[in-house]
Amino acid sequence: MKGSKILLVDDEMVFTTNMSRLLANRGYQVTAVNSGDAAVQELEKDDFDVLVLDLKMPGMDGIATLKEIKKLDLFTQTLILTGHGSIDSALDAVRLGAYDYLTKPCEIDDLVSKIECAWQKKEEHVKEEMQENVQKIIESPHSVFDLYPSKTKKK
Amino acid sequence: MNGHDTNTITPDTTLNPPEKNSYRYLFRRFTLLTVVCSIVPLLLVGWGLNIHYSYFAETRIVKSFKEQVANHGRFIEQFLREQSTKLRLVAYTHSKKDLQQSGNLMNIFENMNREQPYIMDLGVIDQHGNHLAYIGPYDLLDKVYKDEKWFKEVMQKGLYISDMFMGFRQEPHFIIAVLRREGDEKWILRATINTQVFRALVENMRIGETGEVYLVNTQGLYQTTPRFGGSIMDRADMAVDPFKDLVTVDVYKKNEPGRFSGQVVGKFWLTHPEWMLVVKQAGSETFEEMDHARFVNLLFLHLSALSILVAAIFITRHMVGIIRKRDEHAARLNNQLMQASKLASIGELSAGVAHEINNPVAIIMTERQLLIDQYQQTMIEDPAFKEQFLSSMDQIALQSQRCKRITHNLLRFSRRTRSMIESVDLNRFVTEVVDLMERETKTSGIRLLAELDPNLPAIQSDPSQLQQVFLNLITNAVDAHEGKPYGSIRISTRYDNDTEGIFLSIADTGTGIDPKHLDRIFDPFFTTKPVGKGTGLGLSICYSIIRQLKGNITVKSEPGEGTEFMIFLPLTLSEKENRGSGPSGPDNTSEPSL
Repeated sequence: MKGSKILLVDDEMVFTTNMSRLLANRGYQVTAVNSGDAAVQELEKDDFDVLVLDLKMPGMDGIATLKEIKKLDLFTQTLILTGHGSIDSALDAVRLGAYDYLTKPCEIDDLVSKIECAWQKKEEHVKEEMQENVQKIIESPHSVFDLYPSKTKKK
Repeated sequence: MNGHDTNTITPDTTLNPPEKNSYRYLFRRFTLLTVVCSIVPLLLVGWGLNIHYSYFAETRIVKSFKEQVANHGRFIEQFLREQSTKLRLVAYTHSKKDLQQSGNLMNIFENMNREQPYIMDLGVIDQHGNHLAYIGPYDLLDKVYKDEKWFKEVMQKGLYISDMFMGFRQEPHFIIAVLRREGDEKWILRATINTQVFRALVENMRIGETGEVYLVNTQGLYQTTPRFGGSIMDRADMAVDPFKDLVTVDVYKKNEPGRFSGQVVGKFWLTHPEWMLVVKQAGSETFEEMDHARFVNLLFLHLSALSILVAAIFITRHMVGIIRKRDEHAARLNNQLMQASKLASIGELSAGVAHEINNPVAIIMTERQLLIDQYQQTMIEDPAFKEQFLSSMDQIALQSQRCKRITHNLLRFSRRTRSMIESVDLNRFVTEVVDLMERETKTSGIRLLAELDPNLPAIQSDPSQLQQVFLNLITNAVDAHEGKPYGSIRISTRYDNDTEGIFLSIADTGTGIDPKHLDRIFDPFFTTKPVGKGTGLGLSICYSIIRQLKGNITVKSEPGEGTEFMIFLPLTLSEKENRGSGPSGPDNTSEPSL
């Protein structure tokens, strides 16, 4: 979906710069950061549809970042993009709630198609949540402001 | 295949079992120790007892011999005393006149010889030496004995037993003579002892087969004919010195020179006449029983020592063998451990390297994509440039993909320690292993051929363990071509509906396995590779892995033709189950499309 907001996290600056441009060329709004901490900060202040996360990073690595993000309870879907060909850690990430994973190097088209899938998943979640909330509003109209403060945050 | 091991890493020589020589040294030390600690004391005790027994037995035998000699001597003395007594009795109970009357002397003579013909003749001689009466085989009535030695002795002593002498009859004989005083008259009753009877009497006392008994007078002349050498009245080649004891027994060793070499000689001096009784027997016969007992004792002793030695050698050999096996086992385990740690290091290194390569390759790919994006937005007229550009971009993609495949294979290789049952596409798996091995086999002229069943279902198994099995078998197959300029390894997969499993075959055109080794190739530590080349664990690991995965592995081999390993793997879980869960699984998603 063009216009989706992507947060790209990778310690390789050249990689994030190039990937940002490639995704931007394909109509995405891309924000790139180079560490897990920066990613968490970015997610706290803004809404993103899809997070593309590298696993092996100095400081807070991909798995730790994923754990932190999980605490924020977002609709944002996470795609793991790892240079570590060992799929074990990627599988760990999936178990921690990541939507899917890709191994580096990858074709841009594969990444885009996974981003699309992730976006759809996120939209489904949003839709489900909205339906639940509508149901709750119908049942209790006063709860409308507590339940639906923003577009992407659950609470 | 001439070996079954995948290990081509030369083990550290310090971990090898000790040199053969050190086992020989150990063997010698153990054997020597056993000999010193058991055989030497045994022999010392045995020999000590034997010497003690010999001394004891010899003393007893000599004592017994001495008693026999003394008894014999006393017997002869007794005999002579009896004859003298009989003669004296006749002389003192008859007058000269009585004896001169015809028939009387004959009557006495017959009575004296009633038991045995002890007396050869009997004569009555007056004080002048004239024969008054005579009974005997010789014609001696006219003989005058006045000047004879015995006549003078008997006239002086009253009773006289002579030495052997020839006399008027010119035959060796000895006499017993008794003097009788009848008023003023003196006369002598003389008897000649039957030499044959006396000799038989003396000689019958001989001991054993080699025994010899004879008498020697004070001048050293034989008084009886000895059994071996010499005859009566010859000079005996021996000393006739008097001795203090009644009896002496001398044991002459074989190596002692002289007449009595190797003999036991007992001597006894008779008192009247002064004759020396000599009783001889070969030492070997005297001590025969003792020697036999000694021989048996020593035989048993030495047999015992020998059996201890043999047992020591066998036990030591067995023990050294056990030690050697343990050492070899330990060395092999050490080698295996070393190898495992080496592999683990290689795995870690591979993972690190793969990651470091993947990142730059990922950047290259993004750069390529940027160029393609830029290219698509730019109007370029030159068709040659366009063509070159697109071809270069394809090549960049292709080579990047190649890098990715290599790093992925390396990473898969490094993952073998983690055991995880998951869905495995065997065909893809075989392709990966073949990719990994192809670089190695290409240089050796061996082609890797894959014949894969396109309708192969995925199986539930442990990919890292399967990978180890494949790598082991393929490495073995490659090794089996040593010395051959070219060859092929055919890897095929086939799904079998009936058994609901997959058959995977790895067939090579190598040297094959010797039929006598075929039963043992899956045994741990069995290898035909030279020492240090293989650990003998490769195939046993394969076997245990396949059995663990509920499968089976069999082998067919033709020496010179090649070997085929057939692996059966069951589909333990249905295909639907392993594809149903979660998002698109790693098998479908991790491989980007080219």
